[in-house]
Amino acid sequence: MGTKAKDIMEKEFPTICAAARLTEAIELIRKAGSKGRRVFGLMVVDGDNKLAGMISMYDILLYLRPKHIHIWGNMEDIDVEGVITEACRSIASVQVGDLMSSEAVTIGPEAHIMMVLDVMIKKHIRRLPVVRGDEILGIVYISDLFNHLLGRLPEPEK
Amino acid sequence: MAVSEKRTLAGLDVRQAMRRQLVALNVNSKIHQGINTLIKYKVNAVLLTDDKGRPEGVVSKTDVMGAYYAQLPLDSPLSFIMNAPPHYCMISDSLEDALEQMRGLGIYRLYVKDRRREVVGVLAYPDIVGLLYRFCHDCKFSRLAGSSIQKLAANGNYLKVRDVMTASVEVVDQGAELSAVMEVLTAHRFGAVLVVAEGGRPAGVISKTDLILAYRHGLGQAEKASVIMSSPVRSCRKDQWLEEAIRSMILSDIHRLFVHEERADDIVGVLSLSDAARARSGSCQACVSSRINVES
Repeated sequence: MGTKAKDIMEKEFPTICAAARLTEAIELIRKAGSKGRRVFGLMVVDGDNKLAGMISMYDILLYLRPKHIHIWGNMEDIDVEGVITEACRSIASVQVGDLMSSEAVTIGPEAHIMMVLDVMIKKHIRRLPVVRGDEILGIVYISDLFNHLLGRLPEPEK
Repeated sequence: MAVSEKRTLAGLDVRQAMRRQLVALNVNSKIHQGINTLIKYKVNAVLLTDDKGRPEGVVSKTDVMGAYYAQLPLDSPLSFIMNAPPHYCMISDSLEDALEQMRGLGIYRLYVKDRRREVVGVLAYPDIVGLLYRFCHDCKFSRLAGSSIQKLAANGNYLKVRDVMTASVEVVDQGAELSAVMEVLTAHRFGAVLVVAEGGRPAGVISKTDLILAYRHGLGQAEKASVIMSSPVRSCRKDQWLEEAIRSMILSDIHRLFVHEERADDIVGVLSLSDAARARSGSCQACVSSRINVES
């Protein structure tokens, strides 16, 4: 016996459809973040509400990054605002499914939290969807895992 | 204006212009995964590797557009449409030689191998233009540098867009079907086509990127051009300084600008980063001095 993924997972979580506009994902991440928990990524679902992938701030920022930034060097006269405006314009025709990471790593609800820890470390991920078959049950955030494992440590003496 | 071919890139090697971020997929990946990768990393081609990571072939946006035209299912393997084997240059090759190789083979990129014969990067036309732009930017003769501009400009040493643009433009009507758009792009080997409204007024642009996104999103080929075109048309004046146009493209992540006369709707040509690379131009004839200046 021991704590399992289902014991520490977040049961209320935002998802977004793969066919949604990227701008909708950005808005959802921003709004979700304003409700207390900082959200860095979303689970993406297909038309049948099955997990299709994950999209993160990293994926979106990667797309915003100018392709030729490596040759900018120390050019200090670059109009950064203009560059960002231009990049935001190109987002209009992009859907969430175009940028998502489609091979999402998942874990079952009965998995021991040390297994959750192992998967997160090995796969370099901070959000781990908990699924049973095609059903999404929740998501484990690395912060929840951190707090659960280390919350029992006594406070350091001052 | 004659451009000095030998001087512009002389002494530069592939190492200085190549990109080290190698975008690769397993050869058994599906076409829809290939499209996602092309879009996500903003690249025009993906290297395909076998299960041991050895390069097997290349799939470009052109190949994916061909799959769309042929109505291949999106879950077909990329190996169905790849070009094999990839073409390579060595990291120590001169840029002159690499450009000659690309031109001779009619290709737009070379994968770069190091001394151990491992693939360590990729070299494409925009990378070379980017390098030249940076030299020009840092040059004491740059138009941004002040007084010397007047002297050089007076001597006609600065290149303008008209000197390197392609002076013909293919257009499609905004009511044209996507299949017809793909036929135009394929026939003329263009990366994008101008979409016009009634009276020939420029209405938008359709690039290969727009088409592979349409494929990914399940749009039928009978859809009209106006559905997926991007607008407004990004353009520049024919008499604009080349340096400014290149800067605009590099900083905006766009591969081409349509070129107009005084009136913005009077489109007379196209300037792509590939045009600029093939012409081997920096932005002026003083680039030998600029390069020495940078390297010292």
